[in-house]
Amino acid sequence: MTLRRVFLFPARAWMAVFFAAPLGIVCGYSFLTRGEYGGVEEPWTLENFLRLADPLYLAILWRSVWIAAVATALCVALGFPLALFIARGGKRKTLWLQLVLLPFWTSFLVRTYAWLFILRDTGLVNTLLQAMHVTSAPLPLLYNEGAVLLGLVYNFLPFFVLPMYATLERLDPALLEASADLGARPMATLRRVIVPLSMPGIVAGAMLVFIPSLGAYLTPDLLGGGKTVMLGNLVQNQFTTARDWPFGSAASLVLMLVSAWLLGTLMRSRVAKELL
Amino acid sequence: MLKQRALGVYAACIFVFLHAPLVILIFFSFNAGRFTVWEGFSTRWYEAAMNDQQLADGLANSLTIALIAAALSTVIGTAAAYGMWRRGARWLSGMLYLSLVTPEIVTGVSLLALYQWAFRFLHLQLGMHTVIVAHVAFSIAYVTIVVAARLRNYDRTLEEAAMDLGATEWRAFTRVTLPAIAPAVAAAGLLALVVSFDDYVITSLVAGVDSETLPMVIYAMARRGVSPVVNAVSALIVVAFGALILLSQRLQDP
Amino acid sequence: MGLAACARDSRPRLNIYNWSAYIDPAMITLFERERGVRIRYGTYESNEEMLAKVMTGNSGWDVAFPTHSRLGPMERAGLIAPLDHVRLPSLGNLDPRFREPVWDSGLRLGLPYMWNATGIAWNREQAPEPRDWADLWNPRLAGRMTMLDDPEDAIGACLQKLGYPFGSTDEAQLNAAKMEALRQKRLLRAYMNAEVRDQLVAGDVLAAQLWSTTAAQAIHGAANPAKPKIGFVYPAGGYPLYCDCAVILRESDRSELAHEFLEFLLWPEVAAANARAGETATANGAARAGLAGDPVLYPDAATYRRGIWPTALPSAAQRYRDRLWTEIKSA
Repeated sequence: MTLRRVFLFPARAWMAVFFAAPLGIVCGYSFLTRGEYGGVEEPWTLENFLRLADPLYLAILWRSVWIAAVATALCVALGFPLALFIARGGKRKTLWLQLVLLPFWTSFLVRTYAWLFILRDTGLVNTLLQAMHVTSAPLPLLYNEGAVLLGLVYNFLPFFVLPMYATLERLDPALLEASADLGARPMATLRRVIVPLSMPGIVAGAMLVFIPSLGAYLTPDLLGGGKTVMLGNLVQNQFTTARDWPFGSAASLVLMLVSAWLLGTLMRSRVAKELL
Repeated sequence: MLKQRALGVYAACIFVFLHAPLVILIFFSFNAGRFTVWEGFSTRWYEAAMNDQQLADGLANSLTIALIAAALSTVIGTAAAYGMWRRGARWLSGMLYLSLVTPEIVTGVSLLALYQWAFRFLHLQLGMHTVIVAHVAFSIAYVTIVVAARLRNYDRTLEEAAMDLGATEWRAFTRVTLPAIAPAVAAAGLLALVVSFDDYVITSLVAGVDSETLPMVIYAMARRGVSPVVNAVSALIVVAFGALILLSQRLQDP
Repeated sequence: MGLAACARDSRPRLNIYNWSAYIDPAMITLFERERGVRIRYGTYESNEEMLAKVMTGNSGWDVAFPTHSRLGPMERAGLIAPLDHVRLPSLGNLDPRFREPVWDSGLRLGLPYMWNATGIAWNREQAPEPRDWADLWNPRLAGRMTMLDDPEDAIGACLQKLGYPFGSTDEAQLNAAKMEALRQKRLLRAYMNAEVRDQLVAGDVLAAQLWSTTAAQAIHGAANPAKPKIGFVYPAGGYPLYCDCAVILRESDRSELAHEFLEFLLWPEVAAANARAGETATANGAARAGLAGDPVLYPDAATYRRGIWPTALPSAAQRYRDRLWTEIKSA
């Protein structure tokens, strides 16, 4: 057994038993029928997938992809400079990193409730703005897509910053010096040297934001006021209130396939650009 | 634009953004009233939190599960990333990406179904072990991605040089590569720890009678909106971890 | 960790799975001391969460507290062990309304524990007093109203507003209800559950479809209980009632101890303590004597008669409603 085989074995075994097999069960569910009181039962059918071809669900799919994409773009834009700062932080690197993660030791729900307080009509932002006479009436900061985006960015920013930092941290400073010596201004160095070299980190980080954003359900529920239905909400609803596991399984299989396809396209194009 | 100073100002703004909710939480943990309307200063919620057995149990369970799961998934994930870096492993790669892409409720429900089937033969029940297994299953992908991203920038020839000088594959890995990617591994481990500690959906589905975690306890309190005990607990967590961070920084940089 | 502790603790165990904040912790301790047992108390946030675990038939719980409409389906799925009335001598303590409930007239399946209703909570200072569901379609309160994020309650309210039955399975009626909901959505701030409590108290939300227990919490927790800012109304055209019942799961092999616990819950002092701690309405009539009569938690007889107890819907109707709910929410 080569070392490589040994190294790969634990992951392969774990994923086979505790991910692939359960997923196979879910695949099976998607072809079954909803049990009278929840759960699944025969007969086997394709009906669940056919139901998904409805414009109602396609609209939900499109909206989810769009929101997740915007959230990812925001995380990349906001997180890259932060990761750069931390990677250059010298002795304080781990301090900054841990400060980024500090909020995430508290419960996700509690953090979201805090945002409700900050953004609501009688909340922090509106009270301050009105006290400073910038506005005369409360701004509707909550219960719209903007609030959902803010929630997603807030919760997934560290997922981008961590891999980004890991990549930037090992960037050879000599390369940056060389670029400057050759006359490049800082922006050019950023564009032509840093970004291409750290592309694996950018892609990794973007993936770690995009995917969970697609499947998010608590954020659109709480910050979107339950008025924005994303794929995560649809799947969640099917497995809980609606007690329609087969349909929920079919919907999540579609969600997973779409994500996997998008990921695949992205990976292949980036890798291609890297090689060129 | 790239000057560290300018970046520092930017970073400060982001940190304000990240920590503003924390400040709010701590602020309202001292509120005499029960709702998010200030009614005076009080420490009653802290007293309630200290006396709550459910919270203490939940915290203990969460820490245990997170530490074990993060340790396991970091080892397994780093090994996997290394193995895949040497030469691609299509099936594993696909499975890992798929696990990222799967909604939490699906992971949770599918694992529950697996356990349900397995327990017919194994005479086991849901418990801490089922939660740990589930957490490892979904965090391996995070660890692998972070470490793999780092490895992609790593120079293969360093290992080859070590082996030319007589080292075995194993030694080349442990003495040359591993130390070089150690910060990435640590970052990955930290990510796995946080992801496990904070998880609610999957945990609530596969937890057993004795394995209620802190997120489950807090969710119950927060969703029913009983009292700001939740704020007090969160504030205590933040202060505790903040202190730990400062302490570890002091140790590294006396 | 937990396993090691259990090995040392040789007392018999009882595992109770209940809604959160639904019991007085002192009562658990009292039962543990008096019977020399150890109780493992777990909580859940929704029936579906509990059912997902219990349906495996191997969840480890002995007692659970489903809402009354789930009792029938659970029994048909073989999950419930019948109650032995011989072991429950204090059954007479139950309020007469709950001794032969419509969903379980022989009281074989579950012991009625706490009950609540859905109605309208409103801000007394800034909004007119609502009378019926239609008042949540008031254009003057546009952007300041919420409905529950629950298809049964939300669609049910639309149906009742149109004069149709709460549990209607007629597609034409359901479609009409959907149109009402879509009309209302433009006027709504959000679909929210218990989270709306804070927003009511702060004055962001002026009228909300809300459960009676949550409304009671908002009213009692106000800064000045004598002059509450929030009020609660039971709609004139009808409203749903819900009762959470204690059931003994068939998978449990601690039936005798479980019955002892249910008997314990029936004692007036215990039931009163639980009702006070959870700020909920108890089904225990003997305990009511010791509790303050809060009209929000305990509507008077005339109001009570307007309430209906929803039942479990057949599969096809459930599917139809679910689709309507998805349409309403994603519009």
